[in-house]
Amino acid sequence: MNSLLSEIKATFKDNDDFFLMPQNIQGIDIVLMGLTSLIDLPKSIEALEDKFERNSTKKEILMRLNNNGEKKKNIAEISSSVIEGNLLVLVKSKANVVALKPIGKSLSRAVESSENEQVLQGPLVAFTEEVDISIGILRKQLPTANLLVKNYTMGRDINRKLSLLYCEGKASPKLIRAIMDKLDMSQDKEINNIQDLIKVLGLRSRSVVAPFKITELPEEAAQSLLKGKVALFLDNFPFALVLPGVIWDLFILENDRNFTYPLMLAIRLLRMVAIIVSLIVPGLYVALVAVNPEVLQIELALSIAQSREGVPYPAFVEMLFMLIIMEFIIEGSIRLPKSIGPTITMVGGIIIGQAVVEAKLVSNILIIFLAAATIANSTVIGFQNAAFIRLFKYIILILAAIYGVLGVLAGIFLIGAHLASIQVFGISYLSNNLKKEGEKNG
Amino acid sequence: MDKSIQITVFYILTHMGLIFFLYPANIIESTTAAHWIPICIGLFVHILIVIIYLTGLQFFPHKDLVSIYTASGATMTFLFLLPVGVYFLMINIIAVRAYSEIIMIIFLSKTPLWAIMGLLLFSATYLAYKGLKAIFQTGLILAILVLPLILFTIVVSFQNVDWRYIYPIWNDDFSFFNKSVYYKSFFAIGGSFLFLGFVHPVLPYRPKMVLLSVIAILPLFLISVYVPIMTFGQATSSNFLFPYVMTVDAIQLSWLMFNRVTMFFLLGLVIFITLFMALVLWKTARIMHAFLPLRNQGLLVILLAIFIFSCALFISDWKEIEMIFGWNTPLRFYVVFGVPLSVLILGLRQTKGETTP
Repeated sequence: MNSLLSEIKATFKDNDDFFLMPQNIQGIDIVLMGLTSLIDLPKSIEALEDKFERNSTKKEILMRLNNNGEKKKNIAEISSSVIEGNLLVLVKSKANVVALKPIGKSLSRAVESSENEQVLQGPLVAFTEEVDISIGILRKQLPTANLLVKNYTMGRDINRKLSLLYCEGKASPKLIRAIMDKLDMSQDKEINNIQDLIKVLGLRSRSVVAPFKITELPEEAAQSLLKGKVALFLDNFPFALVLPGVIWDLFILENDRNFTYPLMLAIRLLRMVAIIVSLIVPGLYVALVAVNPEVLQIELALSIAQSREGVPYPAFVEMLFMLIIMEFIIEGSIRLPKSIGPTITMVGGIIIGQAVVEAKLVSNILIIFLAAATIANSTVIGFQNAAFIRLFKYIILILAAIYGVLGVLAGIFLIGAHLASIQVFGISYLSNNLKKEGEKNG
Repeated sequence: MDKSIQITVFYILTHMGLIFFLYPANIIESTTAAHWIPICIGLFVHILIVIIYLTGLQFFPHKDLVSIYTASGATMTFLFLLPVGVYFLMINIIAVRAYSEIIMIIFLSKTPLWAIMGLLLFSATYLAYKGLKAIFQTGLILAILVLPLILFTIVVSFQNVDWRYIYPIWNDDFSFFNKSVYYKSFFAIGGSFLFLGFVHPVLPYRPKMVLLSVIAILPLFLISVYVPIMTFGQATSSNFLFPYVMTVDAIQLSWLMFNRVTMFFLLGLVIFITLFMALVLWKTARIMHAFLPLRNQGLLVILLAIFIFSCALFISDWKEIEMIFGWNTPLRFYVVFGVPLSVLILGLRQTKGETTP
């Protein structure tokens, strides 16, 4: 017996938050073990005593102990159980270890409203880091017996919970089978971030476009499930990963359906236009100013030329210069704490709005185009989607600087070709009927 | 799953790209009056061969053209598949070179030719490398983004039309049959439909929908010829290299912020042509794959693209393009008529063979 105890001790000897606490309940010698950082010890002990001390015999206590917990035999099981935050009870006379669920320290945040995605007139609750709570939230959103949950524990050394959710009868069985196969195959691979998950799922890890929609809103996830998609929850990642991602995720929000139908259409159309604007406007500016000015009406061409008077470098450099500063501002305002963030906005506003134009470094018409493109970009749903649109506009910009309007169209062609070639589990990124596609290819 | 819409859209787009550049000049040059007669003869031929082709293909629901021919023996392969491959290769070289020249003439006079060819070919190769499904889906995206612009331009191209130029309606002179120019116009008529035989195992479609798209493009042939004639008259428009483009160039819309609507119209069509080139490149690679079974068909696409690029570099001016275009014409007729008929015959023979024993 003592050998097991000393083995445990040896395993955790360098962990100062590990405790071993000999106790005596009704004459039974036990040792309590666990991590003080995960277990609320006084409350747990109190609960334990409450449970067992009321006029029970030794035998009864032991039986209850066994019924309440899980028996752990070898040292590997014990140590992983400790790390998961269980309270281990070692009964000295019986020489076995039982893992109990203790009262834990409150380490996860409460269910709050969404931080990353703003909701207008819709449910505000957002997923949390705790997988079980997130699944609970989703179940509440989608009260149906068809919602199925499959849990995985991924990784050999670092264990992480991963849950797969889908609606039976909605999602194509082939898609689910394919995902499950991939997950089963790589149970021992560690998933520390989304890139790892993409690799485990066997998707293209170098693609710019995210293979899934990442959302923290239960409404979005629930409606996606009803459309035949599949949601993944990763422990400590407060988002649902909705698979497969399709291009409609860029401009279709389920919450739009809470508005009237024409309004919904108008809003979605607006987003589509915005995506095209944010993609081509910088390129189109360069193409029209530098390569093909004859396309414009003469008055317009002249007024642009006038506003560029005194600007010392070509339109391409001008545009690139301002776009990069714009990217700095966006990245900077993400990075900074909320109290300093507005400063950056203000400084950026002053630089971009006034100083640059007055110093004749860029033309003021460019500022208008730039602002249009940046604002349009922010209408894209999902940060990652907005980011890839942001990235793609540089392709068009460079091509436009060389080939003018032809470059803009060639850029659209190439981007279209790239999007068309993306397939997630055999489902094309541009598909609009998931069910049909899924049944065929899944 | 039915992909008729993708096929239909693609059919319309590629034909648009082919019709509006060279076709009007060929027709206007081939006769002086009643242009609708040569056009309608061409269209009749077009409809006829498409119907024959589709009927023939229905005998082989799970086989594409390459496997139909290779399954029918070496003679058929060499008699038909090889010419088709060569024809596709030539089309690609001509398309890359000719359309680059057109772009250069019309709006990129300072850009070197190889750079424009490089861009077109790179785009087409990239798409062809991504495979058949990607090609057709890209077609759909481009249709959504670019087609409205094109249709808008077609509508406003009627701005300067004088309907009296439509007369004389009848002409007894059928001498266009003797002119090689007329046969060149079959580049637009028989240029693109062969893809129908390559896609149905991957992207099944309903033949009815294809026939609908054939009907949808018929007015375009007439518009492309008649709008220049009705704007400038026969005598003037016969001097132009690209009559329809000139017509669009003459449009003046004061309420539009753009002065040259041509730019967007042409570039849109060029993009459709790039799409067409991507498909032809893919088809050529598919045929080559039958003779040279590499593991990766994408590699063939890249090799072909390099070959096409270097061939196109050797063509020095428009005259040479026209010459190669002329060489290509007999081969085109052989392919355009030979392939649908042979597929039909093979199909009929196959069903006979199945029923007799």
